[in-house]
Amino acid sequence: MLTKIYDWVDERLDITPLWRDIADHEVPEHVNPAHHFSAFVYCFGGLTFFITVIQILSGMFLTMYYVPDIKNAWESVYYLQNEVAFGQIVRGMHHWGASLVIVMMFLHTLRVFFQGAYKKPRELNWIVGVLIFFIMLALGLTGYLLPWDMKALFATKVTLTIVDSVPLIGPAMKTLIAGDATIVGAQTLTRFFAIHVFFLPAALFALLAAHFLMIRKQGISGPL
Amino acid sequence: MHRGKGMKFVGDSRIPATGRKPNIPKDYSEYPGKTEAFWPNFLLKEWMVGAVFLVGYLCLTVAHPSPLERIADPTDTAYIPLPDWYFLFLYQLLKYTYASGPYNIIGALVIPGLAFGALLLAPFIDRGPERRPAKRPFAVGFMLLALSGIVYLTWQSAAHHDWEASKKQGAIIEGAEFDKESEGYQLLDANGCISCHGAELTGGAAAPSLVDTGLTPEEIANIAVKGRGGMPAGMFKGSDEELEKLAEFVSSLTAK
Amino acid sequence: MSKRNVSRRQFLNYTLTGVGGFMAAGMLMPMVRFAVDPVLAGGSESDFVATKQKIKDLSTEPTRVDFSFTQVDGWYESEVTNTAWVYKTKDGKIVALSPICKHLGCTVDWGGDKEHPEQFFCPCHYGRYTKDGMNVKGTPPISPLDVFTTKEKDGILYLGQRKPHGEA
Repeated sequence: MLTKIYDWVDERLDITPLWRDIADHEVPEHVNPAHHFSAFVYCFGGLTFFITVIQILSGMFLTMYYVPDIKNAWESVYYLQNEVAFGQIVRGMHHWGASLVIVMMFLHTLRVFFQGAYKKPRELNWIVGVLIFFIMLALGLTGYLLPWDMKALFATKVTLTIVDSVPLIGPAMKTLIAGDATIVGAQTLTRFFAIHVFFLPAALFALLAAHFLMIRKQGISGPL
Repeated sequence: MHRGKGMKFVGDSRIPATGRKPNIPKDYSEYPGKTEAFWPNFLLKEWMVGAVFLVGYLCLTVAHPSPLERIADPTDTAYIPLPDWYFLFLYQLLKYTYASGPYNIIGALVIPGLAFGALLLAPFIDRGPERRPAKRPFAVGFMLLALSGIVYLTWQSAAHHDWEASKKQGAIIEGAEFDKESEGYQLLDANGCISCHGAELTGGAAAPSLVDTGLTPEEIANIAVKGRGGMPAGMFKGSDEELEKLAEFVSSLTAK
Repeated sequence: MSKRNVSRRQFLNYTLTGVGGFMAAGMLMPMVRFAVDPVLAGGSESDFVATKQKIKDLSTEPTRVDFSFTQVDGWYESEVTNTAWVYKTKDGKIVALSPICKHLGCTVDWGGDKEHPEQFFCPCHYGRYTKDGMNVKGTPPISPLDVFTTKEKDGILYLGQRKPHGEA
């Protein structure tokens, strides 16, 4: 049955070359933990991607209950965590995943750095990777405000004051991010929501696609 | 595009009708040495790691509910904020003399900017052909320096933070239902009580909750005038009649 | 450059870039203007707000004065209570200081540090200010506390706009 569906699609779109290229590419011995246990360091990138997938999915599901409004944001988070079945787990996945993705990405970055795997011809992929790192940090920063609890509000005030202290463009940048020159309130929350849920993920998808395409094209760096 | 004499296509599309590549995996003998196929051999190992990881991860979410502090109350001016743990080192950096005050720019922009800029441009700074860490002492040295800096600053920040007070100042407190237009509440507002005890009267970092105090109106009136603990004397500035109303209002506050 | 150097292909490339640029600009301009509106919208001048503080009760010791006003945050209006530290100087001038630390926006407290009872103290990064709001050298803040403009009416203290030190 599945073969028939595959054949039906393949006849029309000729997907076999693409699929066989992905499935049959050789994975070298030195990244395989079955041959060298120390090769577990090569898992960090994959785990980062795995948590990212969890973050995207859990985030999508969280917006089924969450409202980015200062009167209801906290109430909705409280409700989805305490009243909705499995709410604690879904929010927990998103909350702890945010920390774990930073940890895994950090370890992945260190692996690539200490192995010198960013050297020619892989400079561009390293730059894209560091940009992904920045996007992740920005996602953490904007996501921190969304539950609209005490630590969210006051930590964001600190962040905005730091932005404000940038010479020349600081105050304008702060207003642009916060939505108001002095108040951290309704407009800040909606802005952070838009940035966290649409703008940053869009950038993240583009960078991830570039990251993976480059890995497929160049292959993994050789053993030391 | 393959175009040529005798080529046949599926309908009017560009997909060749003949000579399709068969969907047959490469034979294992075609993998040199100990290399192996990505699908399914290597991916299975990756997914096994992923599965173990996922189990641990789900256990974490069940064992530790995500923290949620009480709803943001901009009027609570005594709250001491703390960023998420992975920003603690940047936060701590700003406490030092040469990263704050007139040097704030250094702590807030120059040092993080240099560090992250160097990270971004690492391939163009560390340009030699050598990949072994031992053969590129500067790159590895700077990275180790930065790493120990981050660990040290994070540890300093965590060690100097009052976690007990932090937990208390953010705790969700059962609120009471009351009328904000009532005379008692208006008096609390007028005497500045809510700036420490909060607009919902559930207290904050600087003052305890006024709900469920279990105190008699007389005792509350006494505290309002003479203070107690961290509360200075003379906070109440109204008449005796107002004091009585205020005390009765606070005494009547019970959790819903 | 003479006209003949522009080939047909180049001309089409330029035109394509131009049309693409026009489409991008036409699409993004309304959106960008929409997003930066808060930056370009000027701050509104706020009026003087009455406090509950009687002028005659002020002393040379800074007192905490709370005052409420209606804050408009986009579509959301709320009653907000702000705080000022108010005292009288020796020659009878009223000084009202904002409690917002100029370092990272935490809240300062008068005498919050037991070692410096005659100073404002910020618990976040141990910033200190002298009684007149000047930042103590060697502590994190880079500028003095903001000052409220003050007004007296019927013996009651009115507070106006918050301004950087030296401008009020």
